[in-house]
Amino acid sequence: MSMTADQARELARRAVEMTAAADEAEALVGAETSALTRFADNRIHQNVATDDSVVSIRAVVGKRVGVASTNRLDDGSLRAAANSAIAIARASAEDPDFPGLPAPEPVEIVDRARQAARSFGPEQRADAVGAIVEASRTRGLVAAGTIRAAEHAIAIASSRGVDVGMTITGAGGTVLSTGEPSGTGWASFIGASPELFEFAAIGAEAADIAVRSKEPGDLDPGEYTVVLAPEAVSDIVNFLAYTGFSAKAIAEDRSFMAGRVGERVMSESITIIDDALDPEAIGLTFDYEGMPKKRAVLIDAGRVGEPITDSYWAARLSMPNSGGALPAPNSFGPLPLDLQMAPGDATIDELIAAVDRGVYVTRFHYTNIEDPKTVTLTGMTRDGTFAIENGKLGRPLKNLRFTQGAIEALARVKGITSARRHVGSEESSTLVPALLIERFAMTGQTG
Amino acid sequence: MRDVIEAALEAARTAGVSYADARVVVALTEEIAVGYGVVEAIESRASFGLGVRVVADGAWGFAATREVSEATAAETARQAVAIARASARVAGIPVALSELEPVVGTWSGGCEIDPFTVALEDKLAVALSADEAMRAVEGVALTKAHIGANRYRKWLGLLDGSFVEQSWTESGAGIAAYAIGEGEVLTRSYPNSHGGGWRQAGWAYVTGLDLVGNATRVAEEAVALMSAAPCPSTTTDLIIGGSQVGLQVHESIGHPLELDRVLGDEAAFAGTSWVALGDLDELRYGSEHVNVTADATIPESLGSFGYDDEGVPAQRDFLIREGLLTGFLSSRESATAIGRTSNGAMRADGWNRIPLIRMTTVSLEPGTWTFDDLIADTDDGLYIETNNSWSIDDKRLNFQFGCEIGWEIKGGKLGRMIRRPNYTGITPQFWNSCDAVCSADHWEVWGLANCGKGEPMQVAHVAHGAAPTRFRGVQVGVGR
Repeated sequence: MSMTADQARELARRAVEMTAAADEAEALVGAETSALTRFADNRIHQNVATDDSVVSIRAVVGKRVGVASTNRLDDGSLRAAANSAIAIARASAEDPDFPGLPAPEPVEIVDRARQAARSFGPEQRADAVGAIVEASRTRGLVAAGTIRAAEHAIAIASSRGVDVGMTITGAGGTVLSTGEPSGTGWASFIGASPELFEFAAIGAEAADIAVRSKEPGDLDPGEYTVVLAPEAVSDIVNFLAYTGFSAKAIAEDRSFMAGRVGERVMSESITIIDDALDPEAIGLTFDYEGMPKKRAVLIDAGRVGEPITDSYWAARLSMPNSGGALPAPNSFGPLPLDLQMAPGDATIDELIAAVDRGVYVTRFHYTNIEDPKTVTLTGMTRDGTFAIENGKLGRPLKNLRFTQGAIEALARVKGITSARRHVGSEESSTLVPALLIERFAMTGQTG
Repeated sequence: MRDVIEAALEAARTAGVSYADARVVVALTEEIAVGYGVVEAIESRASFGLGVRVVADGAWGFAATREVSEATAAETARQAVAIARASARVAGIPVALSELEPVVGTWSGGCEIDPFTVALEDKLAVALSADEAMRAVEGVALTKAHIGANRYRKWLGLLDGSFVEQSWTESGAGIAAYAIGEGEVLTRSYPNSHGGGWRQAGWAYVTGLDLVGNATRVAEEAVALMSAAPCPSTTTDLIIGGSQVGLQVHESIGHPLELDRVLGDEAAFAGTSWVALGDLDELRYGSEHVNVTADATIPESLGSFGYDDEGVPAQRDFLIREGLLTGFLSSRESATAIGRTSNGAMRADGWNRIPLIRMTTVSLEPGTWTFDDLIADTDDGLYIETNNSWSIDDKRLNFQFGCEIGWEIKGGKLGRMIRRPNYTGITPQFWNSCDAVCSADHWEVWGLANCGKGEPMQVAHVAHGAAPTRFRGVQVGVGR
């Protein structure tokens, strides 16, 4: 049963009242109603719906903090969680740097929830799957993927007077189209409402790549000029965020940004911002402490910009709070959740036309970090890897392994598309263009 | 809980399903995290709910709710049936399940000292003391210590009258020290990276790890890595430590032998498998030294249980015997594709998720070598320990792993330290290059509490028994 933002706020306030024995208290309510239809081999094989509401209480005693959560919402269970949070705080050790819970700040609530996402029921999802599958079936291919919809009501209240709530919705999915022998293609989508998407066209996008990927060939390891489609670019941007953009990572000297504010480390054409109020953003406009998410320029025309902070790291580093708090307790540190890379002015065809000999990558798979300081990543390409020969998309390639420093790579960007795509989810999305990058290290290939 | 589960099953039966299961789960979690002298997190989480899975019109449906009562159970079952009937709009062959005799039983994991009854102050003191000991080593830039515990109670009922109740406790802990050099972060962890060590056990497991006693060594090794030699870029003989062998088994044997991956059910997310159904009893997966079991009965292992989430009793099964592929991890549905019954690998990570085929304790069985003899038998190579990074392609063929630390082997002796070694390979070639596995004296079950799979994502707790193992002619130092 879904919960409104106002109901979530009331619940958060009730939890705070129950934690009155603490010096300070904060409650985060996360209520989610979600459904996901999964298909493979041209048929629906998994189909799930769930609802859950979790109340997480942060109790502060002096400079000691405890957190307890429950998904039982009766008074007895909430009181037990409140008492548990207080007991944890009392048993904890003091953090002399803890600044106290943040005071309320004005938050701009944006109406981003869409009724079409709420009413995107199992029959509608099945029909969407049917349209996607048909695009593969008519080409002699098989389709796999997901169609999902969700509604989230998030509210935060605190004894300092924070009292915010917002509802967002999301609809999204993925399509993998597979043919014989071994050609695969991919498409994905994410937005606030299923009405934004033409399912047959998304199915056709994946199927067309699969047809073109048939009978992939070899490519020797080496450095190649690459054109990375947006989904591949999102992996790189997300690892920059995961390892580098947080004030905590910078303070701990783990980040590529540490000690380099203002220094040019990437191509002048690269600007990366976090902006929850951008017209194209789809997520919450406040963080998980109820603080307004503020526009942060993380990479400014290739130069290292400002880090993402939350109330703790803002106070500790004497910086403004940019609104990057994750749910407490947060040992990870602040994180940007509404990332975007600035667009360029090229089309994808123009990027490909600019390459004499290179590789086109639809997306990466199982990307992981080898070293956070250089953001050295390794991963595989999949679902549409092609040679680029004389400015044209050429023969399909078997999946390639890359091992590449992301900062180095983004210093060698020579082209950016004007078109961008959202990748991720409504709770944390990344809006990215396609990139042309020189000397990208391909270090292996699937056998 | 029996009344709630029977209410769900009765509502499903009335709605005309051909199969139904209903599962109630109570989960309690406690986590303590310390970072460089600061308590970064102490948290208690409680979660409770019901999930109902049905087959109607030959297709699957699942619904879950946190509101657990007989009324909501019936309503949730009817929702699951409606979802199943919608699934049938894009259906394939009707769902068929392998045979299973109805079961009634209980199971509980061992736990000698309940971690939830140990004073929080005492647990925190262990983490803070270990952290302090690491910080005392000059050159250490960052430290982390964590201690955690999970408790689960689960009730499962099936339409055929099966009813099982299970409960178990998990404990885990670990420390890590970081040294930061020019352009790189150097890490040393104990007893393992990515969450430390985990077992189905109580507080005695954590105290037995002796985090404080190992802290200085861990920190000193992290600092020593700053001046260690870089990993050479070459092809060489590689001896891999037990925990990393466990992860190698996980990624390049466990996942590709999940029968749902082989059948394509995970194709769009984690991928498929390089192994085909027809490879069963035919494929030479590895050398004759490669014997791999899936065992859900090992005491204290994170991959153990009494019954899986389809009610199939826990089993021990050979997946690979003397290098030959002999089995898959299966479910009641997927097992029909190979003409067998389920070997009991279906688990969900909570009340609001469907069971998927998950690893149990998937192990490389011990060989006969002592570690010292294995080093002495290696003329030129590397010995490496403790995972730092992992990546593998969507068919589980091309992999690349990074480790925290290594040592050169020259003339049968361990030599100078190597920092951040990595290696790459292709699964069948790699496992066929295995020519020595250390003995049971060196074999240990490594708990792994972060195995991701499925959409919506689920995180399974699995385990791998492994000992130091040698592979010939491996490419190392990729991208260096």
